[in-house]
Amino acid sequence: MNTLKLYLRSMGMLLKSHLQYPASFFMQTIAQLVMEGGEMMVVILIVDRFEQLNGWTGGNLFFFFGVMSVSFYITEFFGRGVTGDFPAMVRTGKLDTLLLRPRGILTQVLCSGVDPRRITCIAVGVAALVMGSTLSGVEWSFLKALALFEAICMSCMLILGLFLIEAVFTIHSVKSVELVNALTYGGRSACQYPVDIYPAPLRVLFTVVAPFALTQHVPAAYILGKPLYGWPGWTAFVTPLSGAAVFCIMTILFNRGMRFYRSTGS
Amino acid sequence: MSYIEVNDLKKTFTVRKKRTKGQLFREKQKIEALKGVSFSVEKGELVGYIGPNGAGKSTTVKILSGILTPDGGEALVDGRVPWLERREYVKHVGVVFGQRSQLWWDVPIIDSFSLLKDIYRLSKPDYEDRLKELTQALQLEELMRTPLRLLSLGQRMRAELCGSLLHRPKLLFLDEPTIGLDAVSKLALRDFLKWENKEHGTTIMLTTHDMEDIAALCSRVMVLGHGQKLFDGKLPDLLERFDTVRTVSVKYDKEGIMPELPQGLDVSGDENGLRITYSPADFPTARLLTALQAAGNISEMTLQPENIDTLIAAMYKEMDL
Repeated sequence: MNTLKLYLRSMGMLLKSHLQYPASFFMQTIAQLVMEGGEMMVVILIVDRFEQLNGWTGGNLFFFFGVMSVSFYITEFFGRGVTGDFPAMVRTGKLDTLLLRPRGILTQVLCSGVDPRRITCIAVGVAALVMGSTLSGVEWSFLKALALFEAICMSCMLILGLFLIEAVFTIHSVKSVELVNALTYGGRSACQYPVDIYPAPLRVLFTVVAPFALTQHVPAAYILGKPLYGWPGWTAFVTPLSGAAVFCIMTILFNRGMRFYRSTGS
Repeated sequence: MSYIEVNDLKKTFTVRKKRTKGQLFREKQKIEALKGVSFSVEKGELVGYIGPNGAGKSTTVKILSGILTPDGGEALVDGRVPWLERREYVKHVGVVFGQRSQLWWDVPIIDSFSLLKDIYRLSKPDYEDRLKELTQALQLEELMRTPLRLLSLGQRMRAELCGSLLHRPKLLFLDEPTIGLDAVSKLALRDFLKWENKEHGTTIMLTTHDMEDIAALCSRVMVLGHGQKLFDGKLPDLLERFDTVRTVSVKYDKEGIMPELPQGLDVSGDENGLRITYSPADFPTARLLTALQAAGNISEMTLQPENIDTLIAAMYKEMDL
């Protein structure tokens, strides 16, 4: 409980820091809106041109897009320490100061970054979700709402887990490794669309290595009433747990990696 | 058993060299930052740790504060191995890096302190007592509502000190605390450290390049060079070993008096009097003074040891650092 309190207080303080520069904050938030709005325009244009994609209607596609946007940007909003600031922490030696405190490193890394500018991206995602579910005529039930909630939570853990891969590399090599971005940002761009539109290698990648298909597409397809690969309904509640699994594995590897950490400078 | 017990501590860093033309892979180079350093420190001691850049000072501090794991050797602080039980260990340790801030940049420093209270799980009355004590001692009351980024370097250093002492550490490491501070801030900082050491019995280990810090604060000094301990003892003893040159300035009440001095002394004179540079090892000070007095009435005289920094430079040179 104490840890949660610490996290919330840290968040509050970081938000305060961001608001020290209101003009910059405002502009960047607008920029984010334009950026994510642009992403959504792409989906709208695709829907406008093709109407259907491998059996998914336009409404379905908005829904998939919405799930990804909301999960990804919630992660970036609250987990900025892991998704963005970690390489800089290693490079500048800020990580050293975290090591001097009687708290877990991952906790402190999470406590040291927040990115409130992403609020507009999340808003775009929510809009896509509403639009998608309305257009697809989803009849909401408790189970469906639960599936959506679980899908988003587990996707957030998965995304954090994937960013932790980069963090582990950073610990060893001090400079960040761009290759991992193929999984994180690449995964976000690719898995805005349901995984079954892709050829087999990509499907394997996003099911086994970075299981966005399991955390998002299976439950989203269940909510839309068109089960992915015709899998039974209960899978929509089980497969997302792979997100938590990835997060746990990466947390262990991260803590192990910290043992090899060598700090920089004097 | 001493409070800090360090035995044969070793640390090697692997650095990749820049690739030369025609080479496929970069060559790796091993740099031995510490080659078996041993020392012990008693509770309540104030120890200075000096050495040229790259001697391994910061590496030692980082190992002893639990940030780095050494490659060999042992270290026990208060019965604990720093890098094995980091979370338990750092509860009782404070570290101040002169070049690295541990507080939050954009918020008032009081907010930083209150977050540190949560990080260290301090109880409210305990925290408030300590904060009051520290803010008074460090004269921070007026600055509590100012964001860190608006503070001057000296003020910032005081805030950093306050932050790293809130949890009442028994051991405080200071890595170049006076770097870039003006004279007044330096003096205030030294006074504070003395006070903290005396009042709470805090053991303090200080790395610095400023010899005045050592002279003013430390009863004991360790010299590190090339990853090895070269000297461990009192500052005057260290200086004596390298104290080769002193300067005497003399002014007589009449002009043109020239004392009879033995050969080999460097004498220069102008309207302000004579300046004589000599080495106490070759020529006892007492004999020189007798010779000077015999020549006439002295109206003014000063005896100066060589500047401490010059001495240290000479020492580094002699030890081939």
